[in-house]
Amino acid sequence: MTAAKSPGLKSKPAKTTVDLIGYVLRITIVLTMICLFVPALNPTRMSELIKESDSFFTSGISYGGLTEGFTRAFNKGYIESGVLVRTYIGSITALIGSLVMLAGCAMTLGEIKFKRLGAKVAIAGSGIAVLGAVFIKLQQTGFNNAANPERIKPLTPVGGFAFIAFYGVCLLLSIAYLLKLPQAGKDDKYVMEGKFRLFLMMSPFIVLVVLFSYLPLWGWRYAFYDYTPGQALTSDNFVGFKWFAYLFQNSAMRADVGRVIVNTLAVSGIGLAMSWLPLAFAIFLNEVKNSHVKRVVQTITTIPNFISWVLVYTVAFALFSSDGFMNHILMNLNFTSEPINFLQSNSGIWFKMWLWNTWKGLGWGAIIYIAGISGIDQALYEAATIDGAGRFQRMWHITIPGLMPTFFVQLVLSISNILSNGMDQYLVFKNAFNQSKIEVLDLYTYTLGLGTGGSIPLSTAVGMAKSLISVILLFSANKASKAIRGQSIV
Amino acid sequence: MAEKVNKTEKHKMRLSPGDITFNIINYTVFILFSLICAFPFYYLFINTISDNELVGRGVISLWPQGFHLDNYANITKINGLGTAFIVSIARTVIGTILMVLASALVGYLVTKEEMWGRKFWYRFLVITMYFNAGIIPWYMNMSMLGLTNNFLAYIIPGIISPYNIILVKTYIESIPGELEESASIDGAGYFTIFRKIIFPLSKPILATIAIFGAVGHWNSFTDSLILMTGNAKLQTLQHRLYTYMNESTNLAAMLSGGSEETLAQASMNMRPIKFTVAMVTVIPILIVYPFMSKYFEKGIMLGAVKG
Repeated sequence: MTAAKSPGLKSKPAKTTVDLIGYVLRITIVLTMICLFVPALNPTRMSELIKESDSFFTSGISYGGLTEGFTRAFNKGYIESGVLVRTYIGSITALIGSLVMLAGCAMTLGEIKFKRLGAKVAIAGSGIAVLGAVFIKLQQTGFNNAANPERIKPLTPVGGFAFIAFYGVCLLLSIAYLLKLPQAGKDDKYVMEGKFRLFLMMSPFIVLVVLFSYLPLWGWRYAFYDYTPGQALTSDNFVGFKWFAYLFQNSAMRADVGRVIVNTLAVSGIGLAMSWLPLAFAIFLNEVKNSHVKRVVQTITTIPNFISWVLVYTVAFALFSSDGFMNHILMNLNFTSEPINFLQSNSGIWFKMWLWNTWKGLGWGAIIYIAGISGIDQALYEAATIDGAGRFQRMWHITIPGLMPTFFVQLVLSISNILSNGMDQYLVFKNAFNQSKIEVLDLYTYTLGLGTGGSIPLSTAVGMAKSLISVILLFSANKASKAIRGQSIV
Repeated sequence: MAEKVNKTEKHKMRLSPGDITFNIINYTVFILFSLICAFPFYYLFINTISDNELVGRGVISLWPQGFHLDNYANITKINGLGTAFIVSIARTVIGTILMVLASALVGYLVTKEEMWGRKFWYRFLVITMYFNAGIIPWYMNMSMLGLTNNFLAYIIPGIISPYNIILVKTYIESIPGELEESASIDGAGYFTIFRKIIFPLSKPILATIAIFGAVGHWNSFTDSLILMTGNAKLQTLQHRLYTYMNESTNLAAMLSGGSEETLAQASMNMRPIKFTVAMVTVIPILIVYPFMSKYFEKGIMLGAVKG
């Protein structure tokens, strides 16, 4: 931006050693930050009582998390709690230092005055972090000389030295950078190019995306280990593709997965086969000429979309359990003498699930088509009427073709989502009677992993296969859409 | 030609028998479906204000009998329900505000051509909509980040929503660029432009995503179910309702097996209480619903525009 142009920009010097050190420094700092999240490098894990799956970051942010396994050890006096408090203080110091260092790293993206300040801040930050890391390392003796080492099981973590080294390198690099940087001129100001300012404003959000969308992918590695909660993943329990093979080789497992896939495809299949329903809803609602009725119908039919599946289940329970509305009516009309519990039955469960889905989503799903209809040129209808086209002919030859592109996009998206039905609906409706038919993939991976007697690696393997197939489906659907309609959807 | 015009005019004035039949069927179907959508809420409601004994027997079906409001007073005595209500309100308010602010800012930033690596970062963000690590890796990740049994687990992961960012970005791109240019010539920085120009002008789309965000927060219960196992105080209202409903399923299952009179009694008295809790979770939605409806179409149409 014009106002931001600094005198320094006019004569941009060629890339020099200073710039090179700058690049290396920034990359090193970012890598060090990433290492904070690697459990294998956790420097605080000086006892087996600290979970192997905890990273330095996890230990550093909460004392409760760090000392989770020590309740008994503290009570019995196996170890002084002071050792852990000091370890925690060290961690906090190192984490704060890391943050300061990162701030310095960001500043070095600016012009000369910012670069110098950034280097100084990075020196301060990495200095603090080195102190913190050394302080953590000093607690090693506290663990080794604990009152009851057999219970504490002291360890010497790789991360202890690694982090001292990482922070040390950052410290040295930032010192070198500061020394190499030229002095700021008198008329130099604290300025930064617009492109970097924008990037820095964006960076916290990039971090969030990495933490919550990309980092979970790293969890796929559990599918390749023989893992039980609390354990670490080491070469000892690496099993390769064992769990994937197990899905096919173990007959009970194969039957289970087969059943779940049939359920998933059946539920999605009914949904796909009936995906024209919202379209029809919109077209026929458009034929309701009384605008008040139209408005009210649209408003009321959209409400169920905004309630949770738990509430939908409550509604289902109120209406269809043995004391519910339906049985009351049926018994009053003498259709049945014994109450029927509709919810505890296996019959037609896929269709029932579709019905609930429709109850919840039909009015909502139609909105996109209602909006689409209002976008169709009214002159077309007038011309058709003049030519003698009846109501259904106009629907068939004008409205439906006009809505086809929208319908097609929705259809392609639902094809690519064929394996993802979500788990909320099936979880709330599940009971001992319908379990075998209601378990769809999303629900199955949940119960397989987090249910009683579940297996985390196996569930991860199933989930991973599902995710990969879904991505392939999406891109194939997109390709098909491009080929058929010359329009991509992703 | 003139004949034809006359014919259509006549057509408009006087409905043919076919049209009348069509209209009758059409109106009936839509009114019926609307009733099916609305009746369950009414049914739940009349069951919460009717005599509990009648409710337990499932007698109340079309209108309330033995009016009283004790159930609404009684649920305040349920342990933990108040906390759950506060947790749900807090996550909805805080989570929605942060999500909207973040979506607005990021939506604005990704429209700036000059950003370092703009295209890359935008794709990096948007592509996350299309893949999913799966529930177990997600859980392990949350646990590694210290977000189990932690209120922040409701807030932080929800701050970034790629879909909402696309909506905001598309909207901001439709704002005339001159406004921004004149401000930047006056020396305003990016953040000032965002705060003084872009943010106020994007209010319609921000309202839309705020509604969707708030409804999502209020209704979500699987995160509470999976992450808050160790601290019942952090469980949401929906999670509570799920627990209560689940207990009843178990009770009913037991009942169908044996024939314990006391169990039947207990399960009957639980029925109106459960419905009352359900009403409490649905009432906030019904209250804000009239205000949200005008934003629906805008949001869903913009959503049809891909990033």
